[in-house]
Amino acid sequence: MAIKPRVPVREQPVEQRIHNFDSVPYGYNEEEAMAEAQRCIQCPDPPTCEAGCPVRIKIKDMNRLIAEGKFKEAYLLVKKAHAFPACTGRVCPQEDQCEGACILTKVGQPINIGKLEAFVADWAREHGVEEEGITEEREEKVAIIGSGPAGLACAADLRKFGFKVTIFETLHKPGGVLVYGIPNFRLPKEIVEYEINKLIEMGVEIKLNITIGQNISFEELKRDYDAIFLGTGAGAPQFMGIEGEKLNGVYSANEFLIRANLMKAYLFPEWDTPISVGKRVGVIGAGNVAMDAARTALRLGAEEVYIIYRRKMEYSPARNEEIEHAREEGIIFKELVNPVRFIGDENGWVKGVELIKMELGEKDSSGRPRPVPIKGSEFVMELDTVIEALGTVPNRLFLSRTPGLKTDRKGVIQVDDNLMTSIEGVFGGGDAISGAATVIKALGEGRRAAEAIKEYIDSKKKK
Amino acid sequence: MAHKITRKMDLNSEDFYVEVEAPLVAERFRAGNFVVLITVPHGERIPMSIMKAEDGKISMFIKKLGKTSWELYKSLDQFEHVIGPMGKPIDVKKYGRVVVASDLVCGHAENYALCKALKEAGNYVISFQTFPTAEEVYPEEVLARPVCDEYHLTTEDGSKGEEGHYLDILEEMLESGEKIDIIFAGGSLPNLKELGDLTKDYNIPTIVTVRQIMVDASGMCGACRVFVDGEMQLACIDGPMFDAHKIDWDAALRRPMMYVEQEKIAYERCKKLGRC
Ligand SMILES: Cc1cc2nc3c(=O)[nH]c(=O)nc-3n(C[C@H](O)[C@H](O)[C@H](O)COP(=O)(O)OP(=O)(O)OC[C@H]3O[C@@H](n4cnc5c(N)ncnc54)[C@H](O)[C@@H]3O)c2cc1C
Ligand SMILES: Cc1cc2nc3c(=O)[nH]c(=O)nc-3n(C[C@H](O)[C@H](O)[C@H](O)COP(=O)(O)OP(=O)(O)OC[C@H]3O[C@@H](n4cnc5c(N)ncnc54)[C@H](O)[C@@H]3O)c2cc1C
Ligand code: SF4
Ligand code: SF4
Ligand code: FES
Repeated sequence: MAIKPRVPVREQPVEQRIHNFDSVPYGYNEEEAMAEAQRCIQCPDPPTCEAGCPVRIKIKDMNRLIAEGKFKEAYLLVKKAHAFPACTGRVCPQEDQCEGACILTKVGQPINIGKLEAFVADWAREHGVEEEGITEEREEKVAIIGSGPAGLACAADLRKFGFKVTIFETLHKPGGVLVYGIPNFRLPKEIVEYEINKLIEMGVEIKLNITIGQNISFEELKRDYDAIFLGTGAGAPQFMGIEGEKLNGVYSANEFLIRANLMKAYLFPEWDTPISVGKRVGVIGAGNVAMDAARTALRLGAEEVYIIYRRKMEYSPARNEEIEHAREEGIIFKELVNPVRFIGDENGWVKGVELIKMELGEKDSSGRPRPVPIKGSEFVMELDTVIEALGTVPNRLFLSRTPGLKTDRKGVIQVDDNLMTSIEGVFGGGDAISGAATVIKALGEGRRAAEAIKEYIDSKKKK
Repeated sequence: MAHKITRKMDLNSEDFYVEVEAPLVAERFRAGNFVVLITVPHGERIPMSIMKAEDGKISMFIKKLGKTSWELYKSLDQFEHVIGPMGKPIDVKKYGRVVVASDLVCGHAENYALCKALKEAGNYVISFQTFPTAEEVYPEEVLARPVCDEYHLTTEDGSKGEEGHYLDILEEMLESGEKIDIIFAGGSLPNLKELGDLTKDYNIPTIVTVRQIMVDASGMCGACRVFVDGEMQLACIDGPMFDAHKIDWDAALRRPMMYVEQEKIAYERCKKLGRC
């Protein structure tokens, strides 16, 4: 049986999009979505695609409903699995999850599950589809620390169970990485805002500008709430720790993206926060964060943007779509090189990087070949902005002020099978318990934790 | 959410005083903390020292410098967000004879807060406040005089109080053998570096505010990194006060220059709009 190719996703033309921060994919319209969903061969149960989805969305049924034009039903079905399909449809690493597991990969292109999921969510938003409300109001109060996907997902379910839910967030806008990290051209901010407003309408209270451990102590929260969920993420940047890192013009990707996204530095000077982007920008690393930083730098006016990666791009943890988009936009990939030191000018600004060539050796713990430096292969590359995208670790501010909370060496919070931490009644999920992972994992754990919290509160009540 | 400004007044030709409603911050403020202001909806996150926190309000001293501060001075009667208290408070305990010194707007605000806390903890507190000239001395009501044990007002041209910078007078004091157990200081970064150089010879612990550009001010971006004793520290959560003898001053002095060009653009634009 010949399998039709995927229905292509319309996108903003390259020449145009490198000058703005608007969404790159336009997404499917109704006809396109139906045509793409009709490609699904409705595999016998259990379909392989669903096993690839961390929250087990009923993908097969979703596809069938979309194929029949039953978009509302498709949306309500997806919403049963998790709260933010408009986000995951756009940012999940689908090739490693649902789409990678779709049977059609064996004979052709898998169903574009991500774009279909985003389509139903966008359709529901545009058509104002409402979900069922809260069944019964309950007296117990739950505090959620952090308004990233983990915290939001946990809040949504706990509220549906009837609890009084308060989210505490350090920043002046809720959303975590969805708002401060992932750029608008990948995940339009109005989508996240819409979902968060839904939560507020449901009665979730969001207290911004409050850092637990700093402005309000963890002990106070424990006193005032029946249970606590830690969705504090892994927001602190790691630096290479090499010579020249103190130079001006050297950024962490976190700072660069927070300036650009949360503070809207791309709208400077209408918005007040500045950002500094030279003509030649080097981004160290090749994950999603690196792609976002590189493409942001390009849109902010850089002439040449390099991804500097110590392995080969085939081992990059970034989503295929991002690598593809970056390539189309003219990002230059420098593979098998690693920075040794940054070089500064007489005013203390970075003017280049000394790189050493690498070769691939034995497989390491990540299953990828370990990059090994080639002695004597050092060379200098001129750059006037450096962005380090080396991954993040949990923020030690919170950890250092939460006695009794068990973490590993890096500060990753330890939890049991029920997502309960070493402190009774305190649960965790998302990047805070895994170092740094994915949006869907955070959403899934937020939901699982909500269940566990309900059980915990119910069992305490019985006693 | 807006925070109402309840008092604004000139302190001298460059600096002004602002008192704003911020109950949570006021209730929890401790000496050494700072706040983050977002003055307008599209504003920057701007760190600011606190002079005092009383009755649900906080008071700050602000220099008219760029877009944010000028617009605040000329056009605003409320802030969008007042976030804090942020930063690590100082260890308030009995040290003995303590010097608190300042020569610039942010330092002067802290001077008051630090003196008050340290005096209440039973220390003998000696405060130095240096201004360029008599005309530039702040109004008496905001000086640290009432909250310390020994007060030195100095002007660099000698037109009021003692003549010279606090560095000169402190050096004389140290030379004459006066005993000082610890020094806290804030203000001009180059002068804080010099202070560190001076007190190192006398082995006096010297804790200074390392004012750096901040963004989130909660340890998430690394913008405010300072290098202390070879280790990377974040001014927003580990500081902003650090041991002057251990700071990599070259890096700390350079970082605040990152956005000089952009700041000019922002200010000029704001001026054209008639808000600065
Ligand atoms: C630039 C970038 C691109 C990414 N791209 C992708 C992608 O394409 N696909 C994908 O699946 N994943 C991606 N990720 C990873 C994904 O965003 C994270 O795994 C996910 O956001 C984790 O969610 P979370 O809720 O655990 O934490 P976060 O989203 O980090 O949220 C934590 C929140 O808690 C707040 N907080 C922390 N401490 C406190 C405290 N003490 N008090 C109050 N509030 C606090 C923080 O301010 C923050 O808002 C990306 C990450 C980044 C940085
Ligand atoms: C802990 C701390 C306490 C401070 N206390 C005071 C105070 O009491 N009074 C006072 O007038 N100023 C204080 N500052 C400095 C104040 O934050 C800046 O002067 C302010 O950002 C100026 O904004 P602007 O738009 O008016 O000027 P701009 O033109 O934006 O900036 C002028 C200069 O201010 C500094 N600056 C700019 N943005 C920031 C930022 N986001 N974070 C830190 N510094 C920045 C830079 O050195 C810059 O060159 C403090 C800074 C820190 C870190
Ligand atoms: S949530 Fe992610 S993995 Fe699951 S179906 Fe949607 S895009 Fe695929
Ligand atoms: S595996 Fe692919 S073809 Fe089969 S049901 Fe799932 S999406 Fe459809
Ligand atoms: S301001 Fe971002 S880490 Fe300190």
